[in-house]
Amino acid sequence: MSKPALMSLHQALKRSFHSLEQNHKVWNSVLEECVPLMGSLGNLAEQLLALNGVQMASTPLARFSDLQDRLRCKLLVAVDTILDKLADKMCSLQKVRDAVGNQVTAAFQVYEQHADTLDLTTCLQRSAAAPSVADMLEWLQDAERYYRQQYLRRKALLQALKPGELSDLQNAHRRWEALATPEREDSVSDTLFRVSFFMDSP
Amino acid sequence: MLLKVLPLDTGDAGTQRCRLGPGLMASLGLRIGSPVHITISGGECLCTAWPRSDQADGFLQLDTKCTTKDLKAINFNNLSVSLEQIKAICSQKLKGVRVNVVVQCIEVKKHSSGFIHDLVKEMLRGMCVARQYIVDVSHLKTQVELILIEHIDPFCTDSGFITSKTSVNIGEIKTLNNYRCELQKSPSILLGGLEDVCASLKEILSLPLRYPETLQKLGLSYPKGVLLIGPPGVGKTMLVRNVVMEVSAALITVNGPVILGSRPGESEENLRRTFKQASEAAQEGPCVLFIDEIDSLCPRRAGSTSAPQNRVVAQLLTLMDGIGSDARFVIIGATNQPDTLDPALRRPGRFDREVIIGVPTLHQRKSILDVLSSKMSLSDDVDFVALAEMTTGYVGADLSALCREAALQAILRGSQDSQSQKIDMKHFLEALKKVQPSCLRSSIGLTDFKPISWDQIGGLEDVKLKLTQSIEWPMKFPEAFIRLGLSRPRGVLLYGPPGCAKTTLVKAAASSSHCAFLSVSGADLFSPFVGDSEKALAQLFRQARACAPSILFLDEIDSILGSRSDSRAPHSVQARMLSVLLNELDGVGFKVQERRGTQRESCHLEGSTEFQQEQQMDCQEVCNQDVMIVAATNRPGALDSALLRPGRLDQIIYVPPPDMEARLAILEICTKRMPLESDVCLKELARQTILFSGADLENLCKEAALSTLQEEGMDASSIKHRYFIKSLQSMTPSLKGQQIDHYQQLFTS
Repeated sequence: MSKPALMSLHQALKRSFHSLEQNHKVWNSVLEECVPLMGSLGNLAEQLLALNGVQMASTPLARFSDLQDRLRCKLLVAVDTILDKLADKMCSLQKVRDAVGNQVTAAFQVYEQHADTLDLTTCLQRSAAAPSVADMLEWLQDAERYYRQQYLRRKALLQALKPGELSDLQNAHRRWEALATPEREDSVSDTLFRVSFFMDSP
Repeated sequence: MLLKVLPLDTGDAGTQRCRLGPGLMASLGLRIGSPVHITISGGECLCTAWPRSDQADGFLQLDTKCTTKDLKAINFNNLSVSLEQIKAICSQKLKGVRVNVVVQCIEVKKHSSGFIHDLVKEMLRGMCVARQYIVDVSHLKTQVELILIEHIDPFCTDSGFITSKTSVNIGEIKTLNNYRCELQKSPSILLGGLEDVCASLKEILSLPLRYPETLQKLGLSYPKGVLLIGPPGVGKTMLVRNVVMEVSAALITVNGPVILGSRPGESEENLRRTFKQASEAAQEGPCVLFIDEIDSLCPRRAGSTSAPQNRVVAQLLTLMDGIGSDARFVIIGATNQPDTLDPALRRPGRFDREVIIGVPTLHQRKSILDVLSSKMSLSDDVDFVALAEMTTGYVGADLSALCREAALQAILRGSQDSQSQKIDMKHFLEALKKVQPSCLRSSIGLTDFKPISWDQIGGLEDVKLKLTQSIEWPMKFPEAFIRLGLSRPRGVLLYGPPGCAKTTLVKAAASSSHCAFLSVSGADLFSPFVGDSEKALAQLFRQARACAPSILFLDEIDSILGSRSDSRAPHSVQARMLSVLLNELDGVGFKVQERRGTQRESCHLEGSTEFQQEQQMDCQEVCNQDVMIVAATNRPGALDSALLRPGRLDQIIYVPPPDMEARLAILEICTKRMPLESDVCLKELARQTILFSGADLENLCKEAALSTLQEEGMDASSIKHRYFIKSLQSMTPSLKGQQIDHYQQLFTS
């Protein structure tokens, strides 16, 4: 009968949700760490802009002939350092994305394996303690999509940054923050709350 | 069972899910997340099946992330879907896909093509796609807007899932604008009779596109501009649209009124923006910047005193010079008043080529009619050659109005006996009465008169013959004229004593030939402003030439034109009019912009009936290119001798006062509708009315009828002979023997 199939599917789902719970925490903490980095990126861009705007020859610092170039070099190195750090963060975000993605794929594979024995009514059965299989699969897919989209858009933003366009660089942190989709993020948290009973059940 | 289509939940947007009721999913044998193929609103859509969260049946929500090109409506309001439209498909995992990518702007295409590959691969992961489907990823708000699936591997499957192991190949990257341009490609508009112009335009546009290396090797710069000149309605705008569509170039149109702004400098800014837009579009492919009605945007600077207008002209000139030779965009300007354009615009480097589209010739009219009627249901008796002959001076717009009117006639008439909705020749003839050629609409010479047949003029048989020879024969027997090397006479002068039917003869000639007929008198031409009258006359000739073959009738020509030998007023208006007329009749040539259809080569096999018809039309065209002047006067002596030499008014026809037989014929025509007593002898009357003109005779009949009414009361039934005699006694002939002798000796001595 479908009982053992359902059991194994439930086990897979539980594993996925546990993994999701951990990864979600990691994801949020990494994102929080990114915010100050983006802020300092904006600051550096502003400094570079100011450096471009100043007429060094008309200031008392005119005696230091290559001061402007040195300053620029220093600032650019700083920008590079920050971008490196951001790349590291992106790596950890990617890891989260891949981990969640693998778990979700695994859960779907288990469902596919048992799909012949599990009829639709069983999948749609909800109880007080556990949501239906269909709902849980949907939530998992939604969560995975959330991570993928977020990663994609943040990566695209960083890719589009060019050293020549300082005003772009300056506004980058604002655009970075605009990329956040709180309602989707909330829905992931909601999912975790909804399945908390299910996860705790043996 | 019908499913009601509901709008999608916001959470499901961009997920490729479609929400079905569990009952339906079970009946279709669908699992959670298995692919379905939905046919909806003219297109197809690939989705993954998911149960509705409220588990209700009878509804359908779908996300249109992956659809075919022809799916139109995005919001499915009040739409229902039957079960047959939803199909479960089995999909496997794909090994590879090849896609084209549509990106937002050209910069993305240039700089980050490597990153786009990763982006696209990531976007496609987990999706179910099929060949020739479009994946809409604009909701992700990245640079990539659409992904077009070109090929999928394995080839034999129709659709499949893309996993992380699927290899993604990117074929082409286009911008959104370019992609939209290509989508808009509607079935091409057919053009009749503009093939040669069309070909030359196409050549200009496609040369730099097809042979860029050759052009570079030869050190050629691409042509930058083409100026289209032609009267309104010949299809300049349509031509450009058609050509642009055929070479699949991007089209950017500029309208004068849109460019001109109220603030100072705004117009120039708009102009610059448009040029920038064009050069951006040109980086991707050929692009045409089309400035319609360019005369409104770029009028002569010398004539106008308005500084803002001059600045716009200067800006346009600068922008046209600023186009780099590497930019593949061509400016096409269209105007119907090339004279009002700033001369600086009309030089190579700005508008390299000027293409003149004239009023369509006979051949062109026929092909226009063929094209226009290709979608109409016509009955067999419609003869387009005859129709083309009748529609002299009609431009393309007029002809399409004619066809529309004919179709309307068919509908109106057809409703009475609704057996067959076909358009007959009679509908076209009816429409011909309503649609006037537009090149004559503003003309001063357009007259409306009651058609008169030759039979309504008594006598004057040899004059009638001469008129038919010079007006009707060239139209009817063109091949005979060509064969004998005859050309049509340029002008005919009718002279003779007043009241001898000169004007009526011209009317009859005009109604018997299918020519455009323009008639002017001094009142139309003279104006209180110096130079205005001459301009009006020249304009009249230009219009007449535009719709050649045409007849231009100058009644009482002696009052319009003076004689230069007349020493009283050497620089009078009349003398100036005369010089204009002499030039128009036999000047060096025409203005360049009056050029009409070029010489065409026939490629038909000899001997076929079609060939004969073609040849006949060719002859017709060769023979009837000119305007024919018909002048009438009763003071031929007052005319300038230069006007009367052959080549100008070369047929000089004396319209004599009616002789005995002619008078009899006139009397017969005049009394045709009068009840005559049996004793009335018209022959006797004709004998007694020597020196009576036609007008006199008509008056005589009128008098006789009146005196009958006077004598016999209002219920008189017929006119007796004695009333004719009585009125004859009270009348004197208006002609004098001496006067007639003078006319007769005028050109014989």
